[in-house]
Amino acid sequence: MGIRFEHVSYTYDARSPMRQTALQDVNIRLAEGALTGIAGSSGSGKSTLLQLLNGILLPTEGTVKVLDLRLSAGEKPPKLAPLRRRVGLVFQFPEQQLFARTLEEDLSFGPLNFGASPEEAAHSARKALAAMGLGESLLRRHPLQLSGGQRRKAAIASVLAMGPDILVLDEPGATLDQVSRSELIQLLHRLCREEGKTVIIVTHRIDELLPYADRWVIMHEGRAAFQGTVRELVDTAGKLPDYGLAVPEPIRWWRELEAAYGLQAEEPCLSPAALAERIAQLVQTDARKEQAYA
Amino acid sequence: MREKLLIGRLIDTGSPVHALDPRAKLTAMLLYAAMVVGARSWPALVVLTAFSFIVMASTRIPLRTYLKAAKPLRVLMLFILIVQCLAVKGGRVLVAAGSWHVDSAGLEAGAYAVARMVLLVSFTALLTFTTSPGQLNQGVEGMLRPFTRIGISPERLALMTGIALRFIPAILDEAQTIMKAQASRGADLKELPWKEKARMLTALLVPVTVGAFRRAEDLTASMESRGYRLGAPRTQYRPLIWSYRDTGFVAVFVLICLIVVWIGWI
Amino acid sequence: MKARKAGRQQERAAPEDQGAAPVPAEKETWAQHAEEAADMVAWDNVSFAYDGQHADIDGVSLTIRKGEWVTLAGANGCGKSTLSRLMNGLLRASSGCISIGGIRLEAGTLGAIRQKIGMVFQNPDNQFIGATVEEDMAFGLEGLCLDTEEIRERITRYAGRLGIGQLLRRHPQELSGGQKQRAALAAILAMEPELIILDEASSMLDEKARSEMLELLREMHGETRYTLLSITHDAEEIFASQRVLVMDRGRVVADVAPDMLFRNGELLRLCRMEPPFRLQLARELEQRGVMTADGVTGAMLNPVVEEMRKWAFGSSM
Repeated sequence: MGIRFEHVSYTYDARSPMRQTALQDVNIRLAEGALTGIAGSSGSGKSTLLQLLNGILLPTEGTVKVLDLRLSAGEKPPKLAPLRRRVGLVFQFPEQQLFARTLEEDLSFGPLNFGASPEEAAHSARKALAAMGLGESLLRRHPLQLSGGQRRKAAIASVLAMGPDILVLDEPGATLDQVSRSELIQLLHRLCREEGKTVIIVTHRIDELLPYADRWVIMHEGRAAFQGTVRELVDTAGKLPDYGLAVPEPIRWWRELEAAYGLQAEEPCLSPAALAERIAQLVQTDARKEQAYA
Repeated sequence: MREKLLIGRLIDTGSPVHALDPRAKLTAMLLYAAMVVGARSWPALVVLTAFSFIVMASTRIPLRTYLKAAKPLRVLMLFILIVQCLAVKGGRVLVAAGSWHVDSAGLEAGAYAVARMVLLVSFTALLTFTTSPGQLNQGVEGMLRPFTRIGISPERLALMTGIALRFIPAILDEAQTIMKAQASRGADLKELPWKEKARMLTALLVPVTVGAFRRAEDLTASMESRGYRLGAPRTQYRPLIWSYRDTGFVAVFVLICLIVVWIGWI
Repeated sequence: MKARKAGRQQERAAPEDQGAAPVPAEKETWAQHAEEAADMVAWDNVSFAYDGQHADIDGVSLTIRKGEWVTLAGANGCGKSTLSRLMNGLLRASSGCISIGGIRLEAGTLGAIRQKIGMVFQNPDNQFIGATVEEDMAFGLEGLCLDTEEIRERITRYAGRLGIGQLLRRHPQELSGGQKQRAALAAILAMEPELIILDEASSMLDEKARSEMLELLREMHGETRYTLLSITHDAEEIFASQRVLVMDRGRVVADVAPDMLFRNGELLRLCRMEPPFRLQLARELEQRGVMTADGVTGAMLNPVVEEMRKWAFGSSM
């Protein structure tokens, strides 16, 4: 199953003089149970893409298949509630998605809407809070009294409480400090690995997500310019500048190493520790060869 | 949401109307509104319509853009048409079903009311299509100048409306995002019953207000740090200069206004 | 270091007592004045509390010299923004003394000081006052009481310089994030300030816009007429600056070179930052005993690895 976009286009205000095409003939597959990173310069269509995933926007052309549902342009959409429960969408600014009086109310908002009993909702609220590493003492607080990092996690927890199979996040790290950003990425990575959730993250910091993402989609001017594994991303990294993105440093150096040592078949080592480890091995081998010649 | 609102957008074609003093355009607008109210007969309305077309054509903005500006009000227009049709009796009976009937006088009154409304809305759009919000604001400030003596501060008012004009689209956008977030969590405004709708809209109020305050705070800091103080001396980048063209423009409106009123009397 | 600062403050105490921007009459005062003029910012034991009790800025003394590029770092809520807002009187210090370009900040000098300082804020949307880029740029210039010709000339010059000449008629919502921040910077530069404060100005931008912004800052710094104070978490931006002031709970706890910040684990933790990839790689390599800053341990290195070593262990970015 998973997610498939087939010839999907989306045009804002299709019938007005201000029409704007945000997506054009996008064909992508997003694997289930994997962590996918979506990158692209601003205005490349990333946010539009996300909103098509849970039927907030419906394609103006083509078909979006999510789980067992089908959203086709021109067809009457199926009931969207089941889709929205199973695809949790986290928007960019937590201030724009926390609207209840207390955090507890906010967390149970989704479950209650999808027909959970108050006890079930309270239970999933606490579970989601724990999954995001927040303490229960925050439950009574007003969402806007939380710190920036807590607020961001609370917004994710409020979506997580619905028990979605697919978690979609728009720039979850924007405006957070570095340490909070990497904590957040690790949390999301764990959700994917340990609970088997499909996680889709839009980011403009490719380098930070590199060690964690299984697959990548690169958007450029409303089209999917690239999709594939990390290995494939490394192979085509030379094209990133054409899409308005810089080649991340780990990829740049791995490519140099690859060329020098012929490692093209290997899984790229992109975290500092993994890269250092691999270099250590390479240097040792070099040293041994040197000794052998001597 | 914002994209659909055509009124309030500058469409810069560089026509002579664009170059007029905003105060002239505002005065003309007031005269025009008086004309629409004063046009009490079909001939008067025909003269007014013909005149409107000439002015609209001189802005070099396509006519259908004006009609589109009136489009958001089509439900209201339909409503007015129906009410007039049902309320005004007389003339020939056009349609009859049992005890109620629509008469020609009712249809005429309805058509008349709708025509006046279309004219008024399209022509108001003309003002915003040809004048940037900043200029418009400056114009309002200029026209309120004489009221300084009775305790109204035009500068303060202009500042307030300027900021409102600047931020309303952003706040609407923000409200839309919050609605999308609510829909994503199972509360789609489109699908909810009316009572729930009202509840969701109240829930919208808190984050939107908080957002508006945050913006206001940021904006105040930005203005103050650029040295702004209410009442401090300032120059104007584009000082309003009244030229003979502006006098001419207003004079034409006064003339047409007299004609329309005169036709209405006879 | 603290002792040095205290010493300098004492030297300066005399001319400051004579009032704002004294006109020097004798040779000695000239020398003192010249020394003072070289300081763009001078704070002496400044404190501030939002609620009047708990100090949000706690007895801070600092100096920033003309033409310097200083980063203000620290965790969220440590007082960075508060500090920047005290500079131009958006907030009023409860005690202590602030001088900008030799003028002491008081009610009477507020206008003059705001003219010397330009501020760019984090959210590009919320700092636009005008409904178009042009009107926004004009806003500050009208406040300087310039005439139409001068305003037009400055708008053209600075918009051209920041590459937004074609965007003057646009509504801010029709611009990309990067274009918005350029427009905001253009509006500030057109007022020709001496000190520019960037309050997380690049944190909401995408990668490309961020590096363009950094390039602009580098150019501005190169011109030497601007003093830059940037509040940022961005490693590259910090590296480009000359000095980092680290804040913690309302105090300036360290005044170091950018390089030293990234090599100091404790300071990094305070700022909630991680070292950039290159330094993390260097550390990992060192730990594994593969190589050090001085060279290789043992074997000859493949040229690529040697190049990487130079990059990772080098001191520039």
